[in-house]
Amino acid sequence: MSDGQPSRRDFMIQAAGALTAYAVVPDLAGATSPVPTPPLKVGLIGAGRQGRAIVAELQKMAGVELSAVCDTVAGRLDAMLGRVKGAEGFADHRALLGQRPDVAALVVATPTHLHRAIVDDALGAGRHVYCESPLASTVDDCRAIAAAASRATTVCQAGFQGRSNPTYKRAQTLVRSELRDLVSIEARSHRKTSWRFPSSDPSLERLVNWRLDPDVSTGLAGEVAAQQLDVAHWFSGTYPVRIEGRGEIRHHKDGRTVPDTIDLQLRWADGLALQYHATLANSYGAQTETFYGVNGTIRLAWTHGWLFKEPDAPTQGWEVYATRQQHFNSEGIVLIANATQLAAQGDLKAGIGLPHPSLYYALEDFVRSATTGAPVACSAEEGARASIIGILANQAVIGRAPVDVPVFG
Amino acid sequence: MGTRFELTLAAGRSHDLRAAGEAALEEIVIWHRRLSRFAPDSLVSHLNREAHHRAVPLDAETFALFDDALSVWRASNGAFDIACAPLVTASGFAPSATSAEFGPEPRRIPSPETRMRARPSPRSARSTSDAIELDRTRWTMRFTKPGVSLDLGAIGKGHALDCAAAVLVAHGVTSALLHGGTSSVVTIGAPPDADGWRVALAGNWDVGVLTLVNSAMAISHTDSQRSASGASHIVDPREGGARGPAASAVGAPRVVVTGPSARLADAWATALAVMGQIPDTLPAGYQARFENGHAT
Repeated sequence: MSDGQPSRRDFMIQAAGALTAYAVVPDLAGATSPVPTPPLKVGLIGAGRQGRAIVAELQKMAGVELSAVCDTVAGRLDAMLGRVKGAEGFADHRALLGQRPDVAALVVATPTHLHRAIVDDALGAGRHVYCESPLASTVDDCRAIAAAASRATTVCQAGFQGRSNPTYKRAQTLVRSELRDLVSIEARSHRKTSWRFPSSDPSLERLVNWRLDPDVSTGLAGEVAAQQLDVAHWFSGTYPVRIEGRGEIRHHKDGRTVPDTIDLQLRWADGLALQYHATLANSYGAQTETFYGVNGTIRLAWTHGWLFKEPDAPTQGWEVYATRQQHFNSEGIVLIANATQLAAQGDLKAGIGLPHPSLYYALEDFVRSATTGAPVACSAEEGARASIIGILANQAVIGRAPVDVPVFG
Repeated sequence: MGTRFELTLAAGRSHDLRAAGEAALEEIVIWHRRLSRFAPDSLVSHLNREAHHRAVPLDAETFALFDDALSVWRASNGAFDIACAPLVTASGFAPSATSAEFGPEPRRIPSPETRMRARPSPRSARSTSDAIELDRTRWTMRFTKPGVSLDLGAIGKGHALDCAAAVLVAHGVTSALLHGGTSSVVTIGAPPDADGWRVALAGNWDVGVLTLVNSAMAISHTDSQRSASGASHIVDPREGGARGPAASAVGAPRVVVTGPSARLADAWATALAVMGQIPDTLPAGYQARFENGHAT
């Protein structure tokens, strides 16, 4: 071992620095949920990587009890049951629905193409449902889920997290008040990963690596971009009318046919355009959405966000309390929850950073809706539309031809 | 991540190994995000905010991590203590707040007065982790008094490596070496052409090369990392502050610990560096040695 290498403590400190240096926004006042009494019993369907992340967030919530876990792959189910105290395991979601009527809410985190049947059964059995995004891998399935949700007496929330994220909720109000008219939008998702999951059982290879199966995968456009594009739908209040796309395998030449790099251009009826780029071959910049307006620019990165004002934009009173950070030649305003109070205490930095990952807020909204009947943060209809945009974008990539978006009724 | 993690995997189809390696690295990222006390959205930050108000449920791996941490705290008579966050901060090891886009933010260096104020009172000097209550029946954690603040800096990297190694084993990998910043190492099996993974130790050790097979090692010493104020990154919770320049000036010992678990090796490496000796309570299956035969 040589001197000068990072220490164990350094591992935590340096990595954290990049996370806490700047944050945006949110108004967390009123974000605290009432604690359900008795506890809301929740079942998880799909015990893979996303299922594990969901469990980690549910465990933080007072008044939520993870009571059941379902997965068709025995190894994944056993691993999850070993992690969670007191949950009952099922290999079939219908068995869970039949044997555990006390499990009032289900979180569906299976491969996308399996969502429809599970959501149908769960809503039909009178359970509340949170379905991960995208809702489905075909337009028909998306519409079927939205229709089932409209018939249901329980709540059904689509897992488009931007609509629950406090940073994005605050930004959504600023787009209207601070940017004035939108000029254009850019978004990107950069990761360095093969998108391939290890499987020690060859018979499970296709199931485990469904994202690389062109028969069921909606590619980067459906599985990744749809989540980000929904932010643009939400902020603009409308949907694009035409999508162009192209994709290539730039790096992972391992026999796959699903592109590892894509470019999209989405156009709105009024001429607004969104440029989108996603790759699995480079991680620089991670995942961001940037909204350019006449009076300024908002850049969002899921846990952080900044407002950059144009020199001729009017100054607002709240900017007095803003923390500002230099970004090359531009000065970004960091917006912090309870800024007035914190400024009075001389401790503005204490408000930097969301106290939970984005997923937490989406699940918290779902629990609130399931226990109080409050409207869901993202309805199945809104989720279906966002999912359909992703599916059509993937068709544009694969077909290398523009795709017109149907007018959503 | 602040520390460079590297994996060496042997045998198997290349894209299967890459997928397994990516899963292992993803596991490390997951644990970093959960255990960093500087990220407001981490599990540790959540516990620091909530565990005094209610018992917070934990998953099995996290419960086992805290269980191990408390066992080392007890066995080391407080020399290793995960409730040492205020002391670490007071010693100058706050996040440096750098970003690729905004550039570094100056680190605030605590004054000697601030460090003195962070010292626990004589009454609490040896009793920080005793406010951490683990419920083995419900797998929950609760703080029995306010003000407890966790810092997993001396055990988190080893834990992440253990979990990453478990991911590799679960996916059929039989030969691998993983390390974080070269100071924490965990091995699976042996290389295809050798009887073990050979790890060389820089400096004056009675054994200069360790051979590891299905085992882990951690090295800890007080000289490798200092805050801008000159304080060591290792704090002595019993004394209420970092071991300062005076300690290293007289030759603070470096210590290497080997054993089955990287997280226990990590924790004990820190504990022994603080203690300066090897106690009888070092668990069976673990070996420790100091540089230059310093151990007493």
